[in-house]
Amino acid sequence: MMTSSKPVLAISAIAPIVLLVIMVAFLLGPASSFLQFGVVLPEVSIEKIEFIENEIQATVRNTGPIDVDVVLADVNDRIQPAAIEPDTSLKRFETALVRIPFDWNEGQPYEIGVTISDGTRFAKGIDAAFPALEPNVDLFVFLGMIGFLIGVVPIMIGLLWYPFIKKLGKNTFNFFLAFTMGLLVFLGIDAVIEATEISENHLSSIFNGELLIATVVILSFLALYGIGKQLTKKTEFSKLSQGLAISLMIAIGIGFHNLGEGLAVGAAIALGEVALSTFLIVGFATHNTTEGLAIAAPLTKSKAKIFKMIGLGLIAGVPAIFGCWVGGFSFSPLFTLIFLAIGAGAIFQVVLSIFQYMKEKSDILSNSSLFAGVSAGLIVMYLTSVII
Amino acid sequence: MQSTIQSAKMFYILIAIVAVSSLYFVVPGVIIAEEAPRTFLTHTGLVIQTTGDVIDPIGYDGEALDFNPDKFMKEFDYGDVTVLDDGTILREYYITARDDQIMEVSPGVFYNVWTFNDSVPGPTIRATEGDLVRIHFTNEGSKPHSLHFHGIHKAEMDGVFESIGTGGKFTYEFYAEPVGLHLYHCHVHPVEEHINHGLYGAYIVDPKEPREPADEFVFVLNGFDTDFDGENNFYAANTIPFYYQHHPIEINTNQNIRAYVVNILEFDAVNNFHLHGTLFHHYPAGTDTVPSGYNDMLTMSQGDRQILEFNYKYPGLYMFHAHNTEFSEKGWVSSFIVKENTGNFDTQVEYDDII
Repeated sequence: MMTSSKPVLAISAIAPIVLLVIMVAFLLGPASSFLQFGVVLPEVSIEKIEFIENEIQATVRNTGPIDVDVVLADVNDRIQPAAIEPDTSLKRFETALVRIPFDWNEGQPYEIGVTISDGTRFAKGIDAAFPALEPNVDLFVFLGMIGFLIGVVPIMIGLLWYPFIKKLGKNTFNFFLAFTMGLLVFLGIDAVIEATEISENHLSSIFNGELLIATVVILSFLALYGIGKQLTKKTEFSKLSQGLAISLMIAIGIGFHNLGEGLAVGAAIALGEVALSTFLIVGFATHNTTEGLAIAAPLTKSKAKIFKMIGLGLIAGVPAIFGCWVGGFSFSPLFTLIFLAIGAGAIFQVVLSIFQYMKEKSDILSNSSLFAGVSAGLIVMYLTSVII
Repeated sequence: MQSTIQSAKMFYILIAIVAVSSLYFVVPGVIIAEEAPRTFLTHTGLVIQTTGDVIDPIGYDGEALDFNPDKFMKEFDYGDVTVLDDGTILREYYITARDDQIMEVSPGVFYNVWTFNDSVPGPTIRATEGDLVRIHFTNEGSKPHSLHFHGIHKAEMDGVFESIGTGGKFTYEFYAEPVGLHLYHCHVHPVEEHINHGLYGAYIVDPKEPREPADEFVFVLNGFDTDFDGENNFYAANTIPFYYQHHPIEINTNQNIRAYVVNILEFDAVNNFHLHGTLFHHYPAGTDTVPSGYNDMLTMSQGDRQILEFNYKYPGLYMFHAHNTEFSEKGWVSSFIVKENTGNFDTQVEYDDII
């Protein structure tokens, strides 16, 4: 092996970076006129539409490659006078609030459009106008209740399966661990689909939503993998059992998932996109009960104290409350997408941890209980999802 | 062990970087210093309070290309007049086509207009029945253009099969016939594109026996498809959306008004004209001396023209607009402000160039 001096090593590391910087500077500078071809098209995205008393408010963002001026607003393709704050000119990525005085009718569909200085019109439709919720204590309590009902309560109920699972034999226990894996795989896929939907409906194409989901899922998976490794390492030296470590990982993963879900539900309430019926809450709650089961299963082979279990349930469930608050008061599609993707990555990592745990604990891994468990988990999740 | 801890640290740093950088996109807008909101009255009468800008299609000042609808509606090009040996009146007109100009077609909206004599619509060509009309046409545009006049003329003066290339010239010559309100436009393929961009104008042939004295206005009903989706974004009488709503046309009670209405709208099969507070007699294409109806509604297809004659009994502010309200809400809405006639009857007839 050749030994090289430190300066040479440093130069060899920096040289490509310096050359890259020079090339970029050249392309942006002297070569920019040479490289100009094609037509640069402006793009404006309407990210949010809110209906307040006698006024429609649209949040617009310049998502194109050039600066634009928003010069006209319309409702249903009919020109309407409006105000735009802070001003008409939008730099790249800059947002503005278009306020259109309009006596809108509740429940009626509307299309809101803006026209920029070159005469191009951008529009977004709303299926049904719904009065924007006023940020007050009532709404805070309401959103908190929703988060509590869809996040915390079902998980706590699910944890009550603990004494039942504890009494099961080895094969049945493995079945329940595999069942948990099935639940989690389904949750992960569900989160990715939900994130994709948000990307399609709310996020401008400039953010490359699908690629962002893939990136965040993988990063979250890797990060949780690192954390998980450390947690399980620590169990060798501390009283923290491996089962508890895995339950904690599951709780954290589900916590991220529920944060994303809470953001989506809060946003849906605030934007009036769903008629939030008791039925929907029932659906979410039923669905999320299985999450409690997932946390309880790995704990059964160790002595788990009741407050630890409650703690795990809160780690998994409380983020739904925060999600509902943040989503309900200030919906950001990007934020929601990122948290759903983090949840998905975390959940996939947890599935891997459970699998490894099962392999370690069982001398002969029963294939039948593994496959039966995973399949049952997926089917149960599908069936509970149909209710939503 | 050491490396695992380090790599875990790296992940935390990475996550922190991602989280912080995403805030740039996530947080909508920037918190700006609170200013006192200002109050604006909009063109629909609604009041807006805002710290930002008002976007409302009023306050057109015609900076980009000098076009004044008030001036246009009363401006007639009678040509350079010469009396020929046989007594025929020769009227010579000069029309130049261009296609490189940008015009503020509505406040803040800039559009590439194609123009006859730097104007959309082009000049209103006016002659008397039997006059010899000679039009010196120059194409200073980058595309071929032509002049196609409606009326009676020889096939080679029809401006359809002979398009005039860049820098080209052509002299169109025909006798002004028949009496009526006609139009002219570029007839180079694709005609829809050439018309949407603005290559058209009104052409009036007056009867030898002048019509009754009246205040005369030209209204060319047009529109612009500024985003090229095959639908008009803006509609207007004389190019500028909402213009006459904010600059009402001043007339007097019991004053005879004659409106020359030309519909050159593209994309929409039908346009219409509705007058408030009174009714008009109307003459399709202005070719007949007997009105074909007494109405307050006119329905006009693409290329249709009508001469309207009316007066107002009561003073006040009266609208006239497309009763197709989509068009009126996109700019084809105008108004007359009718003042009490002081008795000082001051009807202007602009036959000033007639010999």
